[in-house]
Amino acid sequence: MSTEQTAEQSVDPRVGCVVEPDGRITFDLPPLPADGPQVLLRLRPKKGQPEKTLHALDLAPANDGRLRAVLGPQPVLEEGRWDVYLLPEPGSERQRLRPGLRDLRALVDGHLRDRQSPLAVRVPYVTKDGYLAVRAWLRPAHAEVGGIDITDRSMTVAARLHGASFQEGAAVHLRLRGGSGTVRPLEPRPAPDGRSFSFTVDHGELTAGTDAGSGVWDVFVRPAAQAPLIRVARLLDDLADRKEVFVHPAVTLGGAVLRPYYTVDNDLSVEVTKAG
Amino acid sequence: MKISFLLHNAYGIGGTITTTFNLAHALAERHEVEIVSVLRHRELPNFTLDPRVSLRPLVDLRQEKNHPLHLRPAGVFPRAEYRYGQYSELTDQRIAECLATIDADVVIGTRPGLNVHLALQAPEHVVRIGQEHLTLDNHPPRLRTTLRRAYRRLDALTTVTEADAAAYRRKMWLPGVRVEALPNSVPDPVLPAVDGSAKVVVAAGRLVPVKRYDLLIEAFAMVAAEHPDWQLRIYGKGEEHDRLRQLVMDLRLWNNVFLMGAAAPMEGEWVKGSIGAAASNFEPFGMTIVEAMRCGLPVVSTDCPYGPGEIIEDGVDGRLVPVGDRDALGAALLELVRDDEGRRRMGRAALRNARRFAPGPVVEQAERLFTETVSARRAGRPVVPERARMHRALVSQGFAARDAAFASASSALRMVRKGQR
Repeated sequence: MSTEQTAEQSVDPRVGCVVEPDGRITFDLPPLPADGPQVLLRLRPKKGQPEKTLHALDLAPANDGRLRAVLGPQPVLEEGRWDVYLLPEPGSERQRLRPGLRDLRALVDGHLRDRQSPLAVRVPYVTKDGYLAVRAWLRPAHAEVGGIDITDRSMTVAARLHGASFQEGAAVHLRLRGGSGTVRPLEPRPAPDGRSFSFTVDHGELTAGTDAGSGVWDVFVRPAAQAPLIRVARLLDDLADRKEVFVHPAVTLGGAVLRPYYTVDNDLSVEVTKAG
Repeated sequence: MKISFLLHNAYGIGGTITTTFNLAHALAERHEVEIVSVLRHRELPNFTLDPRVSLRPLVDLRQEKNHPLHLRPAGVFPRAEYRYGQYSELTDQRIAECLATIDADVVIGTRPGLNVHLALQAPEHVVRIGQEHLTLDNHPPRLRTTLRRAYRRLDALTTVTEADAAAYRRKMWLPGVRVEALPNSVPDPVLPAVDGSAKVVVAAGRLVPVKRYDLLIEAFAMVAAEHPDWQLRIYGKGEEHDRLRQLVMDLRLWNNVFLMGAAAPMEGEWVKGSIGAAASNFEPFGMTIVEAMRCGLPVVSTDCPYGPGEIIEDGVDGRLVPVGDRDALGAALLELVRDDEGRRRMGRAALRNARRFAPGPVVEQAERLFTETVSARRAGRPVVPERARMHRALVSQGFAARDAAFASASSALRMVRKGQR
């Protein structure tokens, strides 16, 4: 074993984590020669912005000698990507942590549990450059997509409300991204429980309504006449990045191609492009 | 004992690397262990190496890719070996030097070409053990002919299945060579075993034709039709990706079947499922089957040569179905999906039965093989008893003649084709 490799391992401890159904995350680190070590979560700032939001969690030795830190329901994490660091002792330099095993099995069927407002979701994941991070969503209310049925003529989306329920005057809104902010309202079909619903997008109508011939429609639901819009998305399982995994077929209609897809934030949108 | 492994490239990703690291780690508890990596192309291995195991690269491609000797073809490493193109006069020379001066009691080759180096170049006092992670029947005849000659000079040869060991005993005359199946080991899982409640079927491996993920997706259509709340997750990447995605679209399974991309380690992904699946046409061992079982998943697999049938006990800790039979695969999956209690029972059996692939028992067997071979050699005793050699010799001569005929026929064919160009 070369010395450089041993050194590499000692500055690069791997952090395992276990997530409970309620979103509680337990971080797990090997024993460290450190005095009062902490796990530090940092909300990744937008490019060029200073970092503002940090949470520090105390690491305490467990019975097996390993170090554990718990992120309970508090603090509530702001929506975004949180990088995970080790702070070996107060005032020392932080080290970004590489991932160990992530036990996310409790999240897989997360869509089956009804959530209260606000909806707070946390999914630990591995960044493209190989570090541990936590993807967080924080929304007053949420509409979780179940499945999308697609035919040549239309697509039907089945979804369920969390933190809100259907009342008079509900509508689904497809809003064209950018520019004019054109909105196409659709009629939702709520189930008797006021939570589950579905709606159908007619391909021909949407194509005709896409003036420039191409554009992206973001999907929202308004559960009651005066209620704020809720983004239709898929957040309630173990996947932090869904875009390349949950892929739907494209439908060609006349001179246009339509395809529902999940954005980098796991929100549902419909893309219309010119064919050919 | 001092034990050296001779590995193609310890810095890559693959089953042979994983299993060699696992074995090296476990042996390091009681022995001095070294991994000699013929090639190196990056700073650190992908898998974390136990600090007690030393790692020694022979050719560093980052500096020596254009070494004049590395541009000349290898002479010792056999031409018919799959990795021939990556070997050279430089690797010939470095491996020869390494073996000539090695101070290990046992040296273990981990692929056919390296076993040949070992057989031809290791000094007399060193015990030479060849490991085969592929299978004899799938080697091209020309390679079999080379190996037949070289492997006689080994002290022992290990295969990953009994079936392959039997093929070597029957088809190669290896007098005095101990041929033994030594399965790959899978480390003890760190995470708790599954409880069998997740409505997810998990498969993992490179997305290549031989793995038959197309068959698995088609079979899963039967599950999705009856149980739309179940998912199939396929982990891995490879040349079949786009074709498989198109198949998912064609079968209208985009709400149920997901190509997840590569995941390492897989343990965190196995535990999200409650059934493992494998649809290969051919599987020299079946590492992912063992991995899934060690996490408590019963596995539905095709009964392909050679591994699955030696890992899974049909109806007890998983299911074996005929190769290429979509309906049988779908029916077996559906049976486990429908039967919550049966699935859990088989999962518990899988957990118990797969313990024989834990590093403990596998390492014990390897250690026994190494020690017995070393002490037989030191005492001047033969490594295998004399009995029953004659019969084998006669049978294997027939296979040798056939391989030689195939090999020369195919080289004649190449000559003809060259002439036509």
